[in-house]
Amino acid sequence: MENEGKKQRIGVYICHCGGNISDYVDVEQLSDIMKREEGVVISRDVMFTCADSNQKEMIRDIHEHHLDGFVVASCSPKLHLHTFRNVAQRAGLNPYNYVQVNVREQCSWAHSDHPDQASVKAAGLIRAGIRRVSYSEALEPLRITAVKSVVIIGAGVAGMRAAIELARMGNEVFLVEKEAEGGGQVAAWDTLYPTGTSGKDLTQLMLKQIREIPAIKLFTNATVEHVSGSLGNFMVEVKIRHEKEESLKLPAGAILVTTGFDSNLPAEGTFGYGLSDRVLTLPEFRKRIDEASGNLMVNGKKIRIVAFIYCVGMRQEKGGNKYCSRTCCTTTMHASLELHRKFGNVKAIHLYRDIRTYGKQEVLYNQASQQGDLFMMFKENDPPVVSLQDSRLKIEVTDHLTDRTRFELEPDLLVLVTGMVPRSDSDRIAQLLKIPVGNDKFFNEIHPKLRPVETVINGIMLGGSCQGPKNITESIQSSLSAAAKINAILCKESLELEPIVARINEEACTWCGICAGVCDYDAIFQMETDGKVIAGVNGAACTGCGICAPVCPADAIEVAQYTNHEIESMIDGFMAPVILEEKLAEPGSEEETGEGLMKEYPGIWKEILKQLDKEPLTIPQIAKQLQQESELITYHVMTMNKYRILEPAGTDEDLTFYLYTPKTRLS
Amino acid sequence: MNKLNLQLADTLRKYGAKEFTACYNCGTCTAICNLTDSSSYFPRKIVRYSALGYEKALESSSEPWLCYYCGECNESCPKQAEPAELMMSIRRYLTARYDWTGLSHKLYTSTAWEIGSIVFLALIILLLFVFYHGPMTTELTPQGGVKLNTFAPWKTIELGDWLMAGMLSFFLLTNIFRMYLKIIRQDKSLHIPLVLYFTEAWRIVTNFFTQWHFSECTSIESGKKISFSAYWIIHWFLMTSYLVMFTMIVVFLGWFQTETIYAWWHPQRILGYYATIGLTVGIVYFFWARVKKNQEKTRHSHITDWTFLVLLFLTTITGILVHIFRINGWPMATYYIYVFHIMVLFPMLMIEVPFSKWSHLAYRPFAIYFSNVVNTAEKKKRS
Ligand SMILES: Cc1cc2nc3c(=O)[nH]c(=O)nc-3n(C[C@H](O)[C@H](O)[C@H](O)COP(=O)(O)OP(=O)(O)OC[C@H]3O[C@@H](n4cnc5c(N)ncnc54)[C@H](O)[C@@H]3O)c2cc1C
Ligand code: SF4
Ligand code: SF4
Ligand code: SF4
Ligand code: SF4
Repeated sequence: MENEGKKQRIGVYICHCGGNISDYVDVEQLSDIMKREEGVVISRDVMFTCADSNQKEMIRDIHEHHLDGFVVASCSPKLHLHTFRNVAQRAGLNPYNYVQVNVREQCSWAHSDHPDQASVKAAGLIRAGIRRVSYSEALEPLRITAVKSVVIIGAGVAGMRAAIELARMGNEVFLVEKEAEGGGQVAAWDTLYPTGTSGKDLTQLMLKQIREIPAIKLFTNATVEHVSGSLGNFMVEVKIRHEKEESLKLPAGAILVTTGFDSNLPAEGTFGYGLSDRVLTLPEFRKRIDEASGNLMVNGKKIRIVAFIYCVGMRQEKGGNKYCSRTCCTTTMHASLELHRKFGNVKAIHLYRDIRTYGKQEVLYNQASQQGDLFMMFKENDPPVVSLQDSRLKIEVTDHLTDRTRFELEPDLLVLVTGMVPRSDSDRIAQLLKIPVGNDKFFNEIHPKLRPVETVINGIMLGGSCQGPKNITESIQSSLSAAAKINAILCKESLELEPIVARINEEACTWCGICAGVCDYDAIFQMETDGKVIAGVNGAACTGCGICAPVCPADAIEVAQYTNHEIESMIDGFMAPVILEEKLAEPGSEEETGEGLMKEYPGIWKEILKQLDKEPLTIPQIAKQLQQESELITYHVMTMNKYRILEPAGTDEDLTFYLYTPKTRLS
Repeated sequence: MNKLNLQLADTLRKYGAKEFTACYNCGTCTAICNLTDSSSYFPRKIVRYSALGYEKALESSSEPWLCYYCGECNESCPKQAEPAELMMSIRRYLTARYDWTGLSHKLYTSTAWEIGSIVFLALIILLLFVFYHGPMTTELTPQGGVKLNTFAPWKTIELGDWLMAGMLSFFLLTNIFRMYLKIIRQDKSLHIPLVLYFTEAWRIVTNFFTQWHFSECTSIESGKKISFSAYWIIHWFLMTSYLVMFTMIVVFLGWFQTETIYAWWHPQRILGYYATIGLTVGIVYFFWARVKKNQEKTRHSHITDWTFLVLLFLTTITGILVHIFRINGWPMATYYIYVFHIMVLFPMLMIEVPFSKWSHLAYRPFAIYFSNVVNTAEKKKRS
């Protein structure tokens, strides 16, 4: 019974990673040890497992030795899982009969101070991998057909722009806007930075385009009430409040959230806010200058001096909003330039903590200082003090740029530079869509750099400032990037999804419903087969998180690739004793450079050195001359650099790439 | 509580300040300046006061007078705020602030006033000569020289000189007193022991005569780091020549304006030649530098820089001509050129010494003196 279906012809490949692993983990000895493991027919240590040449060798091994499963012990599966799944596929083996073991990040890199222990840990992990692969099942990816339509929530610039592009790429778009008109916040502003176009014109133009594209349906006065389904087949219930209330069900292959931001509203009394006509927030001030013509007045008097206090309610050491809202510094510079442009000689005094006009927005800062704006720096623990005397403003501020001298200012108007905060109803949206929010309470992407527009829910993406403070350019960039992601999913005939999902043992399941209660992704539903009520799993929604498996009292749920057999065998494998022969370090400088550990340079290194003998070259040049992928060459050149076989020799003319040359060594 | 004068930046622009409001307070200029030390750091501080409009602090600063405009801060400022040019403009501004007559302000900020005053003073001289000159004799001295002392008796001219010197001293000294009030008396909390005024007084003399501070400057030109001393030598040559000339004319005119033609090696002629060469070299050098704009400090020229150079040039050249014509026995030419000579000399001294560019001759050493008095007093207070 135990051995039934177990793999008997397993291949094991242990990688040196050009020294990254083999410097600390005794890969040669491990590969010898693994040869003696049950079911293993070949075990090798390889300089670079991922190298093309080795991949070919693996395919040959699979054919020649009729392998039915293999283990690669190298780097993180994040890096090469798909590389080796492809190897399996090309060799005619099911990709799920391969297991990746991470002995680089988890052993050699993590325990470089205890190389012997690193080897012991690696041995355990590799054995666990071998046992696991022996129980592995051949799996087929799940296939679903997606509806070619997208629901976009929020018709600000981000939502509108994504709608237009998604429609152009052949998708149907439902644009859901809670206000009576689309356009978002930008519709309120006159001239915009950096282009100088009017926000009203810009949003009107986009709305016009939207009306002209039949594939986009814009619903205004509309709110999302319920969301069900999963990637490829969401169902979004929308309530529309016109003369009469109306409810609609919109099918969607994917959902894009572009609900934007709210402007922070200071509490009454903050720097005099709410106590005088002379204290405004930045958006209020923007509206004032946009609407005023002729002179800018307050209480019937012309405004000559305007003071700005920055970071109001933002970057707070104590209390909420610890983050910097990124956009408000630039928005303030721009407002000050507008002020000057429209009303001439008005003096602006900026009381700031830091100026964060990153990138090209620095130009605005420059212009503001050139037009004669004053900048005074205060610290959070010593903020300006505002007092109101017979409706006149008085500000005391300690200027950290002038020997911390305390000054008294008497501006006619005070503008509180308030930042962007999450929408007041963003909790509700987060709950409806089951998407997480971050510490700053904005919607959270999976990874700000690697997966910046995707949420943990497959098929639900983020765009624009609902994700964190963004200006228009950045909002549109992110929503377009989400649109591209969505289109990449929906443009296929059918979607292939990871089959690593929960499975129900129909005989054992009694439908107690406990699993459905714990599933965060609503992937478990009640169903009937052969007259029996049991649990069913929506494979498109299931993320394989595994929470349901341990709660099931009947042990009726397991997750593919994480079956009880597999997990128990891994534990056994890891716990089995390891006896390593101690290896004596070879004395001398060779040991230090690491060169001595290398019996011979890999073939590709020799090729690279041959190219560099003539003249120093950059990585792209080497790649071109050797007709290899530059990624591969990068990898090798970096490793050779580490071993001081190569060294950088300046950069190329454009200062873009380093030139490399062989290191002159004593032979 | 300190208040700001938000118009100050505009005022300073009238004195020639350029892009200083672009400053973002990085402090590079202070780091690069050779003359700033732990007791007086500039120019960022001064740029800051100026941009902000912190008038009270600016007025009581002695630092602008310590700067000799090597221009290194200009070259290294990432915002091209031209701090050195601002320091130059502040020196003009301070000159005007010290001056209680208000004339200096007018002369610096209005071309009409500047040219008008020169012309006005020149006309007074012309009229005085028209009405009161002596006989224009064509008779020559036994040595064949012109009888200049008959046309313009040195006794009379000397009387005028003393009158002028009296006025110059009066204006200059009262202005220096106001400078003292602003730099030292502004901060009432600081007690300054009387003895310090005496123990530090040597600085006025040494700085007046050597300007050693100046020679400490270095400058980066055409990629090479060169010593600043070439500029310093020429400046020093010009300054001493001017002093020699001034002394001979105002104090020893009877000895200087003689009818006897002495041999070339006679001290009267040697000193005269020294001063003439010094002035000529200096003028040519500074003209050249301002026209070519080949140094940081000569890239920008205020109108008053030009009028000063032109007046000095005209004075020198007419002085040389008077000498030549007199020795060679050309009476009429000598008389006319002599009148013209005094017509440029008088406005030059009357305008430049107490109200404009020459005043730095006095303000610089006094500023160094005052700032040392203050610094020493502060050090005493701390210890
Ligand atoms: C004073 C000020 C001036 C600015 N000036 C500039 C500038 O000159 N240049 C620049 O680049 N940036 C500027 N910005 C930033 C700019 O406003 C934002 O970058 C931009 O608005 C972000 O667009 P968005 O579509 O992400 O969000 P939003 O403009 O906020 O649009 C979101 C839309 O979603 C709708 N919505 C929200 N919740 C829901 C819901 N639950 N259901 C349905 N619909 C919903 C909203 O009604 C709105 O229409 C300025 C910001 C401020 C505060
Ligand atoms: S962008 Fe500027 S004003 Fe806004 S929070 Fe950041 S530092 Fe403060
Ligand atoms: S594995 Fe996770 S996502 Fe899948 S059904 Fe179970 S609890 Fe839900
Ligand atoms: S170097 Fe320029 S920007 Fe920096 S402090 Fe000096 S004047 Fe300002
Ligand atoms: S010009 Fe020279 S001396 Fe003057 S402030 Fe700049 S660096 Fe200092």
